[in-house]
Amino acid sequence: MTTAALTAGLERIPDQLGYLVISEDGVLASAGELENDEHTAGVMMQMVRTASRFRLAGSVEPPFKRMSVILEDFVYTVTVSGQKVFVVKRQNNQQEPISV
Amino acid sequence: MKLIYQMLIATLEQHLDDTMKNPAVVGVLCTDQQGHNLGCRGSLSDEHGGVVSVLAKQAAALTRDPTDSPTVCLESESGNILVRSHGTITVAVHKIAS
Repeated sequence: MTTAALTAGLERIPDQLGYLVISEDGVLASAGELENDEHTAGVMMQMVRTASRFRLAGSVEPPFKRMSVILEDFVYTVTVSGQKVFVVKRQNNQQEPISV
Repeated sequence: MKLIYQMLIATLEQHLDDTMKNPAVVGVLCTDQQGHNLGCRGSLSDEHGGVVSVLAKQAAALTRDPTDSPTVCLESESGNILVRSHGTITVAVHKIAS
C-alpha cells in the first residue's frame, strides 16, 4: 500500500491537527503537529500494547475499537487496522456541562 | 491511625457505591500507582488494576503540562472504559451506552 493510500482518509478528518501511521518497524507516515514526532509515536505504541491486554471477564472481542486520550486542548484518537496504528490529533472542542 | 484508615476506606467504598448508582455505570475501580486495587465494583476487578494504572502513567507522557491530567477512553462493543488519575490514585469507570 502506498503512503498516500494510507493517509488519504486521515487528511479529511475535521479539526485534524496532525496524524501518525505507525507499524512495529516505526513511523510510516506523519503530518501536521505530529510530523516526525517519534516521542508521541513511541508512547502511543506502548499504550496500544498495554490497552490490548485489557480483558473484561467473559469477553471474547478485542479490548477496544478506538482509544482516545483526552487532554485539555486536544484529543489523540487511536485505531488499529492491518498491523498498523493510526493516531490523529484533533482540537478538543469540549463543551462545558450545562447545569440545569 | 487505624481508625482514620477505616474511615478513609469507608468513604472510598461509599463513593464506589454512589458511582454504581448511575445506570450507565457497570464497573468502577480505584488503584494506586503500582496497580494495587484500592476498591472496585461490578465488571472491573483486581486483574484490571495493573493495566489501568500503566495506561494512566503512559498517557501522562503525552503532555508537558503537569496540571493537565489526561483521560484515556477505550471504546468497544462492551461500552467505554474511562481512566483518569487524580494525584496518586487512578480511577477507571466502565460505562455502557444508555
